[in-house]
Amino acid sequence: MNTFLNVLLSGLLLGGIYALVSLGLNLIFGVVRIVNFAQGEFIMVAMYATYACFFFFGMSPYVAVFIIAPGMFLFGIIVQRLLLQPLRDEPLMQVFTTFGLLILMQNVVLAITRGEGKSVAVAASRTVIDLGIMKANAGRVIIFIVTAAIAGALLAFLRYSHAGKVIRAVIQDRDAARLMGINVELTYLLVFGLGAALAGVAGSLLAPIYTLQPQIGGNFILAAFAVVVLGGMGSVAGAYIGGLAVGIVESFAGYYVDPALKQAIWFLIFIAVLVVRPSGLFGRKGTEELGLRQH
Amino acid sequence: MTAVSMPALASSRPRPPALAASIGWHLLFLLAVGLPIPLLAGDSYWTDVVTMTYLFAGLSCAWNIIGGLGGQFSLGHGVFFAVGAYTTARLYLVAGLSPWLSLPLAAALGVAIALLVSWPTFRLRGPFFAIATMAVNEVGLVLANFMEPLTGGPQGLLIPFRAGFANMIFAERWQSAVLMFGYMSCAVIATLLVRRARLGHYLIAVHANEDAAEAAGVNVLRTKLAGMAISAALTAVGGSLFVMYIRVIDPPNLFSLPEVGVKFALIALIGGIGTVVGPVLGAFVIIPLESWLRGALGDLTPGGHVIVLGIVLILAARFFKQGVYGKAQQLRRSWAARASAP
Repeated sequence: MNTFLNVLLSGLLLGGIYALVSLGLNLIFGVVRIVNFAQGEFIMVAMYATYACFFFFGMSPYVAVFIIAPGMFLFGIIVQRLLLQPLRDEPLMQVFTTFGLLILMQNVVLAITRGEGKSVAVAASRTVIDLGIMKANAGRVIIFIVTAAIAGALLAFLRYSHAGKVIRAVIQDRDAARLMGINVELTYLLVFGLGAALAGVAGSLLAPIYTLQPQIGGNFILAAFAVVVLGGMGSVAGAYIGGLAVGIVESFAGYYVDPALKQAIWFLIFIAVLVVRPSGLFGRKGTEELGLRQH
Repeated sequence: MTAVSMPALASSRPRPPALAASIGWHLLFLLAVGLPIPLLAGDSYWTDVVTMTYLFAGLSCAWNIIGGLGGQFSLGHGVFFAVGAYTTARLYLVAGLSPWLSLPLAAALGVAIALLVSWPTFRLRGPFFAIATMAVNEVGLVLANFMEPLTGGPQGLLIPFRAGFANMIFAERWQSAVLMFGYMSCAVIATLLVRRARLGHYLIAVHANEDAAEAAGVNVLRTKLAGMAISAALTAVGGSLFVMYIRVIDPPNLFSLPEVGVKFALIALIGGIGTVVGPVLGAFVIIPLESWLRGALGDLTPGGHVIVLGIVLILAARFFKQGVYGKAQQLRRSWAARASAP
């Protein structure tokens, strides 16, 4: 029983990480209707930026996040404005572009760092918190708490603020939203920036608990895609609960089946959801059929 | 279909050339593309580049059948590529089976796996399908690492150099170039035949508008599956040829997205996505460029040539959507318009 709870808890903590990396991806997905294949690389770049702040200025990642998140917001806006906005309604070209970004960012970082693994050794990466059933790394616990807070804040923002109302209108029907005087392009720009800023937050919080490598984005993006498909494209609650679910499943699969097969397990979830409920557990029906194009 | 029976519409549209003439033109094109083999004989570096160019031209043609004609953006073709490579390499190493004989088996296995993973993933459209196929690719990587008795696991497989026609291993580089040229030619002719057949029209209809195609009586799922099967069979054969040429394979290389899955798509994009000869033109741009960059930037910084590929990908998606073939067509048309103007 103790082992079971142990595996469950470590799954929850892992799920917190997956939920954090999925929130930004799913926001961009749901609103801008762009599949950002480079989202994992956004996180990777933010991790290295955190490392740079730590290495050069001795800045704690939990302070650096307040510089890096706005920085990534700007970066996201630039990417959306210069590269993706001109390709509206051309989903295939968007795939090429975001994939090109993925390759570019990964290899620029590889060229700069020469592929050496870096780590941000702060107190949070060493400290262990006793949770009763098991001992957990403080960095992971912080991520779990922050992610829950961000998901809650995002939900409240979308539900109650005027900007949130605008975003929901654009999700529902962008043409009608345009007719109501909403600046759809500006909304896309800001939401893409917000998604990138969430990648920035993820990068800063993840930096203390991972060894940084240029390819690390791949670890997150696949899990995030599984989360998005499971939870439903464009749903904040779906991304959060889906993230926790994928973390728990991975933890159990790793303990009871074989750690080497965890990605195969994600994929089985993936296929099962696609066959049973293609729009995800929390998604609006039919999103998977839209193919991101509005006719 | 009904447009043909209406004389006014039928006459306003230029009829495509007869199939025989079309095949003739494409054979002429292939003959021209084959010229580097005799011209470069003796230069082993450039013969190697041309060999890889032919191979990737063929692979990109294969991707183009479902990815270009059918508009199903697959990032999972590395799986079919790897299935072909492992099938041929394993049978050769264990049973001494000639790669020529394992080709049909590799193709059949590629088709079987393609149908298995495509049946659920074809429920998704556009970029969602791309994500699902990317996941397929990653699972392939995991399984290839895991199934050590079959794939050699992370260490991969090494095929000893024993030159001979039956082994599909050649002492002379130009012989390999001829083999890859043959593969590319098959892929081009296959694309042409698909394009001209009913399946080609169905694929294009599905690409243009899935709902309209469905409404017009096209069986969308069957069309996609048929296109995917042909594409996967050709890709698996390409993987088989690749392993006997390179003679060393491991999972990270076979399933690498920038080096395999996405490269097929990139080549098609540069040449002209959805066109019959586009992938060949694209391969002649990308593969020599890449090997030149690898030489020029390889010492300077790790991954230098891949940076350039990333930039090419972004810029091509933005400014060069129609590809070399489309650009040439556009130039030809504007030239013809100028010539006919008084």
